[in-house]
Amino acid sequence: MIEQYIPVFLVIAFAIVFAVLVVFSSKLLGPQRPTPEKLSTYESGMKPVGSTHERVSVKYYLVAMLFIIFDLEVIFVYPWAVKFRILYNEIGTSVFVSMLIFLIVLELGYLYVYKKGGFKWE
Amino acid sequence: MSLELFLFLVFAAVAAVSGILMITRSEVVMAALFLILNLASLAGLYLLLNAQFIAVVQVIVYAGAIMVLFLFVIMLLRPEHEKIVTKISGIRTFAFIIAALVFVQLAYVILKSHPGSALNSDVTASVNAGTVESIGTELYTNYILPFEAAGFLLLAATIGAVVLAKRKFE
Amino acid sequence: MHVPIEYFLVLSAFMFITGVAGVLTRRNAIVIFMSVELMLNSANLTLVTFSSYIGNPVGQLFVFFVMTVAAAEAAVGLAIIIALFRNKQTMNVDEINILKW
Repeated sequence: MIEQYIPVFLVIAFAIVFAVLVVFSSKLLGPQRPTPEKLSTYESGMKPVGSTHERVSVKYYLVAMLFIIFDLEVIFVYPWAVKFRILYNEIGTSVFVSMLIFLIVLELGYLYVYKKGGFKWE
Repeated sequence: MSLELFLFLVFAAVAAVSGILMITRSEVVMAALFLILNLASLAGLYLLLNAQFIAVVQVIVYAGAIMVLFLFVIMLLRPEHEKIVTKISGIRTFAFIIAALVFVQLAYVILKSHPGSALNSDVTASVNAGTVESIGTELYTNYILPFEAAGFLLLAATIGAVVLAKRKFE
Repeated sequence: MHVPIEYFLVLSAFMFITGVAGVLTRRNAIVIFMSVELMLNSANLTLVTFSSYIGNPVGQLFVFFVMTVAAAEAAVGLAIIIALFRNKQTMNVDEINILKW
């Protein structure tokens, strides 16, 4: 069984080796003559202001949170879609109705966020 | 050493070491990145256990979505490095002793009870259990009520998170 | 099944203990939360291990539900941390003591 996954593991191993190689080969092969000017953050020739860890807005949090909720919704739909024909022949429309209820419940949350103005960027 | 055992040792080592690194880093971003590594190696372990669907869901939901949310919040709040661990002195040694004691207990119980002898593990049954089809059949026939409850839980989470985080918009 | 089931269980126990140690030693609310996620994942590993070795998909179904609960928990918990940070300007749980009597 696990033998079928050997290509996947090979791709992962290749990706790791390639990424490490690319990052560290320039360190190993290129000349290193750092000066304080070279190490400072590039800011169009200006003197850098503040730290690079700038705070981002709460808006991004809301987007990421909605992404998680709808990500999970899709994950739930996926096994349903795979088994739909077989289950429909076995137990009839109830399998369709149950997924419909699930989606309606989730869309209520979507509507709530929409009414609250969560999708407005400004 | 079989291929399975080798891959298990690799993934288990990555999972254990990245877990320890996660709780010892003082930068929160580094801790989050090590947690992502831990979750990804757990997906590899799930593949070893023939749980293909759960492995994919682990990568999509945990390593993909939940950790993105964590990283967003870390960037949002920009936490400074922890200067003091805690006001209570000696909590580090206390925690280490407690953790070591409980781990020795658990390992003793696991190795002593020897659960492998009671199981007649059958590879085809295990492979069939991990497919999307078997999980879908189980979910949409016997576990339909927990499924709808999960829908309501997600609705509650959406509304709760918006109510808690929204105030800044006004 | 070439790997003994005990190996997976011991790894799961180790990860759980790592999470416990993280919750006990760290004082940053987000890191505590991430340690709780680590403990949830070690429980997931145990569920998948037994499900796979017994050959019954119900354990993996429960892992599915645990992931749903973890996502909902992350959404609400991080919103609470954001609200706390807005009021107290700190994430050190020793300084967040407004409910302490």
